[in-house]
Amino acid sequence: MGDSANTDSRREQIYNEVIRILSTDLEVSADEIANDTILNTELPFDSLQLYEFVIDLEEAFNIKLPDEMLDQMKTVDDIVSLIIRLTEGK
Amino acid sequence: MKSEEEVMSEALVRIFENVVLTEEKSLQAGYFSDLSIAEMHTLTAIGPYESRTMTKTAEDLGITTGTLTVAIDRLVKKGYVIRQRDTNDKRVVRISLTRNGKLACRMNSKFHRVLAKHILSGYNEEDRKHLLALVNEVDVYVAQQLRRYDGAVNVRKTAMEVAKDSKKENE
Repeated sequence: MGDSANTDSRREQIYNEVIRILSTDLEVSADEIANDTILNTELPFDSLQLYEFVIDLEEAFNIKLPDEMLDQMKTVDDIVSLIIRLTEGK
Repeated sequence: MKSEEEVMSEALVRIFENVVLTEEKSLQAGYFSDLSIAEMHTLTAIGPYESRTMTKTAEDLGITTGTLTVAIDRLVKKGYVIRQRDTNDKRVVRISLTRNGKLACRMNSKFHRVLAKHILSGYNEEDRKHLLALVNEVDVYVAQQLRRYDGAVNVRKTAMEVAKDSKKENE
């Protein structure tokens, strides 16, 4: 029970930080972004903004997100799951 | 009718020139128009993550540290590179990319990935595997040719040492 609560709170923490970075980089309201928002089609990204977002994520979570990994990031939830995986044990 | 050698040789030269030219034009038309292609390759050699030493980066680019120093001076002024003394060994200079440098580096790597993706998308899985195997063989062969000239530098160095030694013996 305790472990599950910890996992949920960690996920929520990462989710909130991702939304904060995303809304700052794209200059959109956080309310316009949900966990199932699809990055490529539902948000006003151009390639430069995508990389700005990626670099901000790398710095905020101290992780590396090479291009091969970006293909796995379709939705906000995908990003959160990927960050959880990459920061495990840190 | 052109021979197979002519077709291959012309295509190789053209592919190389056109990739570089397209890269240069995409740079000029994009967000990083103040960067030359050589500067972009320097940023790529430094890479978007850990800082690197000047010596290792110069080695990877196949240039002297003197030439790299001039290039890095310019990239520092343009705001793409940070230069710092190593915290453990003050004699060692480390270089890393600024946020703008990282962005340029990643946009350029995207250019290459998109190019490769479009070339591969015209083939089915079997043909893609075959094409990649052939391209890899060409790559290995050309790299071997390049290494022959690395040897030539060593031969030259050795010849110079021999000449120096004979001079000493004659003195």
